[in-house]
Amino acid sequence: MRLTWQFLRVGVMNELQYRANFFIQLLQSLVAIATGLIVLALVFDNTSDLSGWTRPQLLIVMGVFTVMGGIIGFVIEPNMGRLMSDIQLGTFDYVLTKPADSQLLTSIREFRLWRLTDVVVGGVVIVWGAGQLDRPVGWLEGVGFSLLLVVGGVMIYCFWLLLTTGAFWFVRMEMMQELFTGLYRAGQYPVGIYPGWLRVMLTFLVPIAFAVTVPSEALTGRLTVGLAVLAVVFAAFLLVLTRLFWRFAVAHYSGASA
Amino acid sequence: MVSVPAVQALTLSKIFEVPEREQGLVASIKSLIRRRTRQVPAVVDVSFDISAGEIVGFLGPNGAGKTTTLKMLSGLLHPTAGTAQVLGFEPHRRQPEYLRQITLVMGNRNQLQWDLPALDSFELTRAIYRLPAEPYLEQRDELIDLLDLGGLVNKPVRNLSLGERMKVEIANSLLHRPAVLFLDEPTLGLDVTMQRRIRQFIADYNRRHNATVMLTSHYMADVEALCKRVIVIHHGRILFDGQLSELSRRFSATKKLVVTLARPGDLSSYGDVIDASPTRATLLVGRAEAAQVTGRILAELPVDDLTVEDPPIEDVIELAFASGQPDSVLAPTGE
Amino acid sequence: MTSQATAVASPSAAEGRLRSYLRLYGTLIRVSIMEQFQYRAANYFYMIGMVTEPIIYLVVWSTIAREQGGTLGGYTPELFAAYYIVWTLVRNMNIVFTPFGWEERIREGTLSAQLARPLHPIHYDLGFFAGWKVVVIVMWIPIAAALFWLFQPELHPRPTQIAVFAVAIWGAYLIRSFLLWILGMVTFWTTRVSALFEAFFAAELLLSGRLVPMTLLPEWAQTLANFLPFQWTFGFPITALVGPITDEELFVGLAAQAGWIVFGAVATWLIWRRAVRLYTAVSG
Repeated sequence: MRLTWQFLRVGVMNELQYRANFFIQLLQSLVAIATGLIVLALVFDNTSDLSGWTRPQLLIVMGVFTVMGGIIGFVIEPNMGRLMSDIQLGTFDYVLTKPADSQLLTSIREFRLWRLTDVVVGGVVIVWGAGQLDRPVGWLEGVGFSLLLVVGGVMIYCFWLLLTTGAFWFVRMEMMQELFTGLYRAGQYPVGIYPGWLRVMLTFLVPIAFAVTVPSEALTGRLTVGLAVLAVVFAAFLLVLTRLFWRFAVAHYSGASA
Repeated sequence: MVSVPAVQALTLSKIFEVPEREQGLVASIKSLIRRRTRQVPAVVDVSFDISAGEIVGFLGPNGAGKTTTLKMLSGLLHPTAGTAQVLGFEPHRRQPEYLRQITLVMGNRNQLQWDLPALDSFELTRAIYRLPAEPYLEQRDELIDLLDLGGLVNKPVRNLSLGERMKVEIANSLLHRPAVLFLDEPTLGLDVTMQRRIRQFIADYNRRHNATVMLTSHYMADVEALCKRVIVIHHGRILFDGQLSELSRRFSATKKLVVTLARPGDLSSYGDVIDASPTRATLLVGRAEAAQVTGRILAELPVDDLTVEDPPIEDVIELAFASGQPDSVLAPTGE
Repeated sequence: MTSQATAVASPSAAEGRLRSYLRLYGTLIRVSIMEQFQYRAANYFYMIGMVTEPIIYLVVWSTIAREQGGTLGGYTPELFAAYYIVWTLVRNMNIVFTPFGWEERIREGTLSAQLARPLHPIHYDLGFFAGWKVVVIVMWIPIAAALFWLFQPELHPRPTQIAVFAVAIWGAYLIRSFLLWILGMVTFWTTRVSALFEAFFAAELLLSGRLVPMTLLPEWAQTLANFLPFQWTFGFPITALVGPITDEELFVGLAAQAGWIVFGAVATWLIWRRAVRLYTAVSG
C-alpha cells in the first residue's frame, strides 16, 4: 500500500507542473459530457423512456460511464500503456529486478492526475440525475452503488491486464487496445438496449456491463441481488484468472530471456 | 570576365525576438497584457561571396550561427537585415525554380519513407522535382554507383543502419542534380569510416558536376578533408574567411595540455593557460613545441597526470577572441 | 568564366504542368498504398473498434423508433441501419491529418524539410491520405458485409445515387482536408489551440450528421447547419446513397460540396502564405 502511495505522490507532483494540462483535460471532459447531454436531450425529445430507462436513470448511466472513464484514464490506461511499451522496448526487465510484486508494480507505476476531471464531472451528473429520480436514493442504494463501482473497476482492470499480458507473446497488442477503447464507448448506454449477441459480448467478453450498467442499476434501485452476487463472483474469478495468467506470463518471459 | 558568384551574402543579419518569460503568477498575468521580448542576435553582418564549384566549410561551435546562415541561404529564414543571392534568386522568396536547383541536407533528418525501399522514395522525389525519365535514371544510377548503394536501395529504409540511411538520404537529395548543396552537419552521429566515405563522395560529386557546396560542421576533420576555403563563425560574426591552410596554421597550430599537479603550481610560463585551479591547469602550446614543453613540465614540476590533445574549436576560438588579438589578424582575408 | 552546374533540364520543356501533377499524385498515392498495406492488421483493428460508435447510435435510435410506432424523423430501424452502416465508410473517408499534428510538424523540423522542396506541402497530405483511403475502401467491404448480415438494413439506391455517392465521398475528403489544414495552421500563431479544436470537433459532431441524421435535429440546428460545411462532409454522402433523396437534392449537394471545396482551397492558400511568411521570419 505504501508503494502505491509513493507512486501516486510522484505522479501527482509531476502532473502538477503542467497546470495547462488540467485546463485542457477539463475542457475535454466538459465537451464530452455536453455532447452526451445533448444526445440525451435529443433522445428524450422523441420519447419518454428508452427500453425502460427514464431520463434521470440515463443521466446516471452517463455519469457512471464518465466516472469510470476517468478512473480508467487516471490509473489503468497509463499503466497498461507503459507495460506495453516496456515489453516492446525490453525495459520490462527493470520491473522484474525490483523487490516488489511485479503485478502490483506494473499496475500502479503511473498516474495521470488530470483525468480525474472526468470523475468530478461525472460525479456531478450522477448527483444531478439522482436528484431527479422518482424513487429517492437511500443509503442501501448508495452502499450497493459504491461497492459495485469498485467491483466494476476491478473487472475492467483485470480485463485490460489480461489483454496487455498477451503482449508478452503478440508484441503488437496495441491494436487490441484500440478495439477495446472503441467498444468501451458502448457503455454510455445501459447494455439492455443492445441486441442479444452484443449484450452478451458486452457483459462477459468485455465487462462493460458490469462496470457501468450494473452500478447504475444499484443506484436507481433496479438491481437484483442475484446480479449483484454474480458481479462479485465474476470479479473474484477475473482476479484469480488475471493473477494466474500474469504469473504464467512472467515465468515464460524470464525463462525465454535467460 | 568577372563571373557572378553562385552565392552572395551581403551584411546578412538575423535577430530573433525571444519572449521574456518570468516565473510566478503575477509575471504570467503581466505577460498577457504586455509582451516583453528580448533580442537575440544569431547572425550579425555576415558577408561573403562563393563562386560556382567551390566547397566552402562553415566552422564554429554550436550556436555560432552556422545553421541560421544556411537557413537564410536556403530560403527557410527571412533575414532581418542585409541581402542574400543564390544563383540569381532571393532565397526567401522560395520560388520553385530556385528550390529545384538547390538541396538542403540536414544530418539526422529523414526524408525517406520509413517502411519502403529507397527506390520508391526516389520515385517520389522524381515526381516532386518533375524530372524527366532519362536524366533522372542516369543521375540515380550514378549516385547509386558513387555511394556504393547496390542492394541497399531495395531494402526498407528502417532496416538500414544509420550510416547506410545517411548515404541513401544523400542520394535522394541529389537526384535532381542541384547546382548548390547546403549540407548541415551531414556526418553527425556517424562512425569514422562512414564519415570518410561521405566526405569522399562529396568531393567526387563536386568534381564531376561542379556543384557549389556549403558545408557546416563542428568537426575539424570534415573541413580538412573537403574544403580549401573555410569561414569561421562565432557569436554570429565571421571570425575568419580564407584558405584552410592558413586557418590550420593559425588555429589548429596548438595542442592542448591538461596537467594535474601533486602540489599547487603555476603553469603560465609554459603556454597560454585557458583553465586553471591550484593543482590542475589546461593550457595551449604551439604544435611544434608541444613535445618540448611537455618534457620541461615533466622535468620541472611534480606532475601527477598529463595529457596532450588537439584543442576543440571552441577553446581555440575563445582564446583567440579573449586574447584580444588585433582585428587585422582575424579580418576576412577574402579570396 | 566559371561553368555552373546545371540542374536537370527544366520540366516545362519535357512535361506539361498538369501531367506532372498527375504523375505526382499517382506516385504519392501508390507509395501510400504500399505503405498502408503493410499496416493492414492495425488498420483492421482500428476500423473494427470504430464500428462501435455508429452501432450505439443505431441501436438507440432504432429502439426509440420502434417504441414510437416504427419511424422516427422519417427513418425506420432498417433505414437507420443502412444510414449507420454507410456511416462507417464515410467516417473513414473523413479522417485526415489531425490539426493537433501541426505542432509536432513545426517543432520536429519536418516542415522545414518540406519547405526546402519545390512542392506545396498540402500535396503530401492530400496524396498520402488519398492512397490510404483507397486501402481503407477495399478493407471496408468485408466489414460492411458483416454489418449487413447482422443488422439487415434497407438499402436500394438508384444508379444516380451510387454515382453521386462515389463522387461525394471524395468531395467530403477534400473539404475536410482543407478545413483541418486551416485549423491546423492556427498553430503557427499560437500553440494554445486545444479549446478551438475541441469546439470545432464538438460542433462538427453535432451538426454534420455524424451523431444523428440531419432530419432528426431540431429546426434551428438544421438551419444553422446549412451555413456550415459539416453536413456536406458527412450527412450528405451518407444520405446520397441511403436515401430518401431526390435527384435534384443530389446535384444541389454536389454543388454545395464544390462550393465548399473552392472556399477551403482559397482560404488555405491565403492563410498558408501568411503562415509561411511568419514561419520564415521566426524560426525556419
